[in-house]
Amino acid sequence: MKRREVLLAGTGALALPGILPAARAQAARTLLLAAPGTPEGFDGDALRPGTQETVVQVYEGLTRYGRIERDGRPYLDNSRIEGHLAESWRVEDSGRRVVFTLRQGVKSFHGNELTSADVEWGWKKSFFQKRTGNFIATVSNVTDVTVVSKYEVAFTLSAPSSIFLSALTLYTPSIYDSTEAKKHATADDPWALKWMETNTAGFGAYQLESVRPGEQAVFVANPNYFRGRPFFDRVVYRAVPSGASRVTLLRSRQVQWIDRPTVQQVLDLQRERNVKVQDVAGRAIASVRMNVTMKPFDDVRVRRALNFALDKQKLLQGVFLGTGEIARSIVPPIVQSYDPSFFAYDFNPDRARALLAEAGLAGGFECELLFSNIWWWEEAMAVQVADQLRGVGVTCRPQRVTGSDLRARAAPNRQDMPFFTFEDGPIVLDPVYTMFLMTHSQGVSNRAKYSNPRVDALIDEARVSLDAAARDRAMREAQRIWMEDAPWLLTAYPQTFEAMAPTIAGWVPHPDEHERWVDLRLA
Amino acid sequence: MRLVTFLARRLLLLAPLLLAVAFFAFMLVRVSGQDPVAMLAGPTASAAEIAMIRTQLALDQPLWAQFGAWLAKLAQGDLGRSWISNRPVLAELLDRAPATLELLLYGLAIGAAIGIPVGLAAARRPDGTFDQVSRFISLLGFSTPTYWLGLIMLLVFFFMLGLAPPGMGRISLMLEPPPRMTGSYLWDAMLAGQWEVAKSAAAQLMLPVACIAIISAAPIVKQTRAVALEAHGSDWLRFARAQGLPEATVRRMVLRNSATPIVTFVGTELAGLVGTTSLIEYVFAWGGVGQFGLNAIIQGDFAVVQGYVLLLAVFSVLVFLVVDLAVMALEPRAEART
Repeated sequence: MKRREVLLAGTGALALPGILPAARAQAARTLLLAAPGTPEGFDGDALRPGTQETVVQVYEGLTRYGRIERDGRPYLDNSRIEGHLAESWRVEDSGRRVVFTLRQGVKSFHGNELTSADVEWGWKKSFFQKRTGNFIATVSNVTDVTVVSKYEVAFTLSAPSSIFLSALTLYTPSIYDSTEAKKHATADDPWALKWMETNTAGFGAYQLESVRPGEQAVFVANPNYFRGRPFFDRVVYRAVPSGASRVTLLRSRQVQWIDRPTVQQVLDLQRERNVKVQDVAGRAIASVRMNVTMKPFDDVRVRRALNFALDKQKLLQGVFLGTGEIARSIVPPIVQSYDPSFFAYDFNPDRARALLAEAGLAGGFECELLFSNIWWWEEAMAVQVADQLRGVGVTCRPQRVTGSDLRARAAPNRQDMPFFTFEDGPIVLDPVYTMFLMTHSQGVSNRAKYSNPRVDALIDEARVSLDAAARDRAMREAQRIWMEDAPWLLTAYPQTFEAMAPTIAGWVPHPDEHERWVDLRLA
Repeated sequence: MRLVTFLARRLLLLAPLLLAVAFFAFMLVRVSGQDPVAMLAGPTASAAEIAMIRTQLALDQPLWAQFGAWLAKLAQGDLGRSWISNRPVLAELLDRAPATLELLLYGLAIGAAIGIPVGLAAARRPDGTFDQVSRFISLLGFSTPTYWLGLIMLLVFFFMLGLAPPGMGRISLMLEPPPRMTGSYLWDAMLAGQWEVAKSAAAQLMLPVACIAIISAAPIVKQTRAVALEAHGSDWLRFARAQGLPEATVRRMVLRNSATPIVTFVGTELAGLVGTTSLIEYVFAWGGVGQFGLNAIIQGDFAVVQGYVLLLAVFSVLVFLVVDLAVMALEPRAEART
């Protein structure tokens, strides 16, 4: 090694490359993306940090939402479901069996053609794992998936399902290139779960090329993608844990996309020439949950009192900086059957005090409000809610817990927190799915033991009904009952923002709030 | 022979020390109240499945039994698997260790190279202009929050002046890392003759190393000044001056007599800087052990937290061992006491 070369390398910092990486990437059609961390796994059934963000790029559904354009921007049309990996389907046995005909010639990155065996294998894997995919199967009444012929696959349902076709738009239960995945299965691991921790094999637009944990993951376009080769050949998914650093990188055009900017950052970025910010009405609800089995929240008067005690407009300004929309139903506005007419909790501290007095708590009470750092708004929300509740005599102490702790303690099998912040929203834009997820006693996002047999019955009836009008009526009635029971402090539907380089176009908002790289291109 | 006895005694002490650290690391995560089982089991898991995972992880056992099982594995060099990523903890830590060591060693070396001469010079004329300026700057270094310093450095040197690369890891986005030999991208790239990669790795090191240098230089200046002041006020130095020894010789005597406490202090700094480095790693997306440990704490990944704490303990013990050996080399009386 020549001494001069060593010196040159050592002093390289003084002679930085003049060309911006984003500019170089543009030439190479590489999308540079900064995210809080690298994905911790690539199995859609075992969601870990970063998994969902990336598996949606690799695994695609039998169906998809239609597309519409408004004001020159593309959106999903959740009223229209169209074929995607499946070309068509026929409904048999009064909705208890649906047979899909697969699109022919769809190939994975590895060159294997999609067949019905791939669909069957992916669903059986989800049944075996009993996790996310299994929940989707349960909620859409799917009990079995079987091969009919090379390109035909049959779904057996325990009852007709209004959610079924929408659920098939999801990335899980995933449709794997089972020919490739089976090569990595063993007797102890028949579903190749170990291999899937660091590998992917789908029929979607992208394929994982490499991952360096804690540093970056690189994805490459599937050259055989059935809708045509994606614009970006490569996607570099770089871990940048600091949100402030991610913003700086975007502002300086080092990356073309950043994950999860906060609203404050978004408002700052909107003034930047080097950055494009786009938004869409959110589908999630920022809320404070009350465990209805724990005192004093087991008394509906207390729950209603706290709802009356909150000035939602003030929260919208103070926490969400004027963005988003006041939440007036458990069903968000972008989902059909949204009905805000039952919302009865406009700010009314006198009514709150009266209800507390009726509940025997005229002097107020003390409680802890647990929050974490999973969502950017939590701390501000906890502090401002505590401050507002003081106005009706409730002494509430905000208490931080870790994100993993909050999730674990809010899981259906535990649910031991009396009062805590959380954000949930449907990833299937369907009112029955939404209500089942968040209000049914079996719903995985019903995190504080809310249970009302009438609500459960309405949802269960709607799940098996194919009568759109009857389902709509049932879901409106369920919203009314839920609103009367007031198990949550409804606050806001936070706006969804994406921040990107000004040259990036084509972003289509998806209900899971993850962009699809295949939609993106350079303007 | 004395050296061998010293090392043997240290090794004997190491075992109970690591055992105590292992116990505290284990208990610390257990009493934190976090329960990863629900998260690992997934949202639709039944009570039976939760119980099964609890059994698989031995979390249904009494604490002492859990500790015993962990210790038995530890004795075989097995730190378990990350509960989040399912990868072996030891491999994860060792994979990331060179990245952290690189930051720490370069940062501290520069910090010491600045701090020691400045401290010595400041002690020469106490309360003089240089002393006052250096004390002020040292105070600034002391009181600057690490996280903030990292962000400001990025804002000024990368974003405003364009003199440094962005804080996004150890190498440019557009380059592939060199083949792994030492684990340091800079050295590996140079050894492989990949000069563009080496240049990028050196550039990426610049700001985080500067942050650690600033943070470590401040206490070194203060400590060196205090030690040197003591030497300047001693009888033996007054005597040396009275003998008419040249100033250069007097300075050498001050340095020689101050060396032992300064080396000890710099060693302590190295062990203490690991925590600080994790914040720097976080800001600069460095991907080292510190960032990994910090993430594990946030995510409640017990196995990684335990391994991380244990690694820090082993690192501190090794640093102190090296410091003791250095002190023995510098101070014959210290060797005589062993």
